[in-house]
Amino acid sequence: MAIIHEEIDNWLAADVYGELSDEEQRQLHTHLVECVACRKTHQETKTMNKILEETLTQQKPDPSFEQRMLAGFRNRVPERTGLLKFLADLMRMRAAQVTAVAAVLLGLVQLGRMVTGENAASPAAPDRYANEQLFEQRSQVAATSEPARAGALGKADELAAARPQAMPLQAPPPPSSDEAKDKTESFAQAERTVVTGSNIATAEEVGPKPAETPPSALANRKLIRNATVELEIVSFDDALQKITAIANDERGYVATTSSQKQANGKLSGEVVVKVLPENLDRFLQKIRKLGELKNQTLGTEDVTKTYFDTDARLKNAHVMEQRLIDMLKTKTGKVADLLQVEKELARVREEIEKMQGELKYWDSQVQFATVTISLAEKDMEEPAAFLIKERSQLALYAPNVEKIYNDIKALASSRSRGMQITSAQLNRDYSGRISATMSVLIAPEESEEVIARVKSFGRVENFQTQTERIAQGGSGMSENAKTKRDKVELNITISREEQEQAFQQTSLRIRTSSVDEKAKDLRAVAEKQGGRVRSSTFSRDPNGRELANVWLRVPMKNYPALMQSLDSLGKVENVTVQRQDRTGTQIDEANAPADISIQVYSQGNIVSHESGPLATLRRTLAQSAGAVMWSLRMIGVAIAFLAPWVVAIVAIVWIAKRVIRARRKL
Amino acid sequence: MDASEREQYRAAIQGDREAFEVIIRTHSRTLFAIAYGILQNREEAEDVVQDSLVKAWKMRWRVRDPEKFPAWLSMIARHRAHDVFRKRRPDFTHETIETTEVNTPETSAMDQHLQSALATLPELHRAALTLRYFEEMDYRTIENTLGLTNGALRGILGRALNSLRKQLRPVFASTD
Repeated sequence: MAIIHEEIDNWLAADVYGELSDEEQRQLHTHLVECVACRKTHQETKTMNKILEETLTQQKPDPSFEQRMLAGFRNRVPERTGLLKFLADLMRMRAAQVTAVAAVLLGLVQLGRMVTGENAASPAAPDRYANEQLFEQRSQVAATSEPARAGALGKADELAAARPQAMPLQAPPPPSSDEAKDKTESFAQAERTVVTGSNIATAEEVGPKPAETPPSALANRKLIRNATVELEIVSFDDALQKITAIANDERGYVATTSSQKQANGKLSGEVVVKVLPENLDRFLQKIRKLGELKNQTLGTEDVTKTYFDTDARLKNAHVMEQRLIDMLKTKTGKVADLLQVEKELARVREEIEKMQGELKYWDSQVQFATVTISLAEKDMEEPAAFLIKERSQLALYAPNVEKIYNDIKALASSRSRGMQITSAQLNRDYSGRISATMSVLIAPEESEEVIARVKSFGRVENFQTQTERIAQGGSGMSENAKTKRDKVELNITISREEQEQAFQQTSLRIRTSSVDEKAKDLRAVAEKQGGRVRSSTFSRDPNGRELANVWLRVPMKNYPALMQSLDSLGKVENVTVQRQDRTGTQIDEANAPADISIQVYSQGNIVSHESGPLATLRRTLAQSAGAVMWSLRMIGVAIAFLAPWVVAIVAIVWIAKRVIRARRKL
Repeated sequence: MDASEREQYRAAIQGDREAFEVIIRTHSRTLFAIAYGILQNREEAEDVVQDSLVKAWKMRWRVRDPEKFPAWLSMIARHRAHDVFRKRRPDFTHETIETTEVNTPETSAMDQHLQSALATLPELHRAALTLRYFEEMDYRTIENTLGLTNGALRGILGRALNSLRKQLRPVFASTD
């Protein structure tokens, strides 16, 4: 009940608006019966509702309101008509939306391609254009100049070229006995022959084609057949004899032979054989058996058209000649004219002779097929001799580079024939380092001795020999070729010992009380073992500690002895040994240098002003003073950061208080 | 919301003009009620409804869920009405009251009192009241239309009536 009383407004409103459930309504009425105040409010609320109902209902929109709204809407948003409406309707369909998106994407891709310059725009178009042009050119060429087409035509163009070709081919009257043959067939023939003719360059694949043509047609064609064969044989003379025999069998003859001898005694050559065309294939098969076939081409050239053209021209020329002769016989006209006729007659006769010669040539070519046989004996490439070339690299270390340099020179001059210096160079760089490079040629029989001598001059750091067998006049293996040794080439580099990297590096420490003295002893020990002191330092630090560093170099053979004698100097500590094994080179290990770096040191015995209780106290005080100063500074920083905020907050609070007070007064 | 109604909203969102015009017919009174509640002026409220419909048509693709279309329409109308209300010059209210006085002499004194009492209510309360009295909507529909949570309206209308009652008590007294 209490809830109802407190929320009486909500309850009453809900009651007025019919939003109370039956149970709620019952509760409310029970409360209203009990509570006077709420009853009054209930009354007022009902009145209020009535007033509102009366007043607000007046303000309700009139019945034509929707119509007005609709009209206004139509007015302000004009409906799309025609195509636009259709498009808008279309775009409402899912499929159309997808299509539109795809189209836009495609458009973007195309645009991108255009921007990047990729030529994607219909590749077919320029191609077709090119084809057209080609076709035009070809047909023009074919129409004007016959021989131009002879080899160079592309396969695709051949057919194209063949068509216009066929027309002129038909024009000259072929003196064929089978003239009665169907026209279409002759057309087809003509076409085929042209294709064959233009293919002469790659004759092999077209080879069988003439055989397909009917024999009656073949008989009237002027075909020049030729073949080339490349054979590898055992003996040239033998093969030549056999070829001659085969040629005779096939009613042919050997036209020319040529041969030449190689450096390794092998023979190679060329034989040209003429055989009857119909026997050509059989001949070739026999030839093949003579040796290993390396290469074979078979070609056919159709000269029918040119042959009969020339023949026709020859006949015309004969007629012309006869007429000119007749003219001379009648002898009318001026002398000058007669002279002219005479001249013309001479020209015509010359032409006739030329044409007759041509025809004869063709006849001979057609009568016999030409076979060019290239013969080569086996193992043509076999080398005639071998040359053994030896190259050696020698790296030497020596205490005195210049001396060795001169020694080698002297050695060379003493063996003037067996040893020859090709180049020698002595270098001294800015830091005084000296090195030498020499190249020497040594007679093969003396090489061992000379190299041994040179090696003994210094310490060998590296020695390498390369031997090369060079085949002369051919390649590969040969059993009976001679082997010859060439001069040995020796490259020598001489460097100073100092530059040599130590074979073994040792570092150790010796503790002793008298550093300076022991360092001196150390020098003596080193010298006794054939070593040298490369460098040394001596220092004394403020604590009275003394320190001497000595770097020694001794030959490897004296290294153990030196290490032993070091023990007598003091306590040896921290020994580390590093060894560099150089594989693959011949080095003289006993004489190889070993580096030893020795640190001789003493414990400090003087108390410095930096230690002791007083110094410690002073340091502690100074440190604590520093810490205090640091914290003071940090506090200062913090205050500097916070102060403006504090001031601002105080100011705001103060103003706020003033404002509140002023309001209260009002 | 039944399926045909939802289909209608969906069609309207996708640009079906006929579907949208049907929605105009069914919903413009609701919109008017909201606008009138906020503005207390019929001409302005009509303009607001008109503007809201045009705007809704142009922005229809923004609505993802067809179910929310009516609530979205109401929101547009509310915002639009609020904008118009704010743009009024401070003395505008008085002016309109005067003009109404002049134009409709039959308007009772009670009406005027009620007008000024309503003007003191929050916009939302006024819109709820007009929706109730104009369209006789139940609490649930009003809540949906105005985007209120369930049960919120009960308090709102209770407070609105209470406030009006208190302000108009002197008038009651005089009339009684």
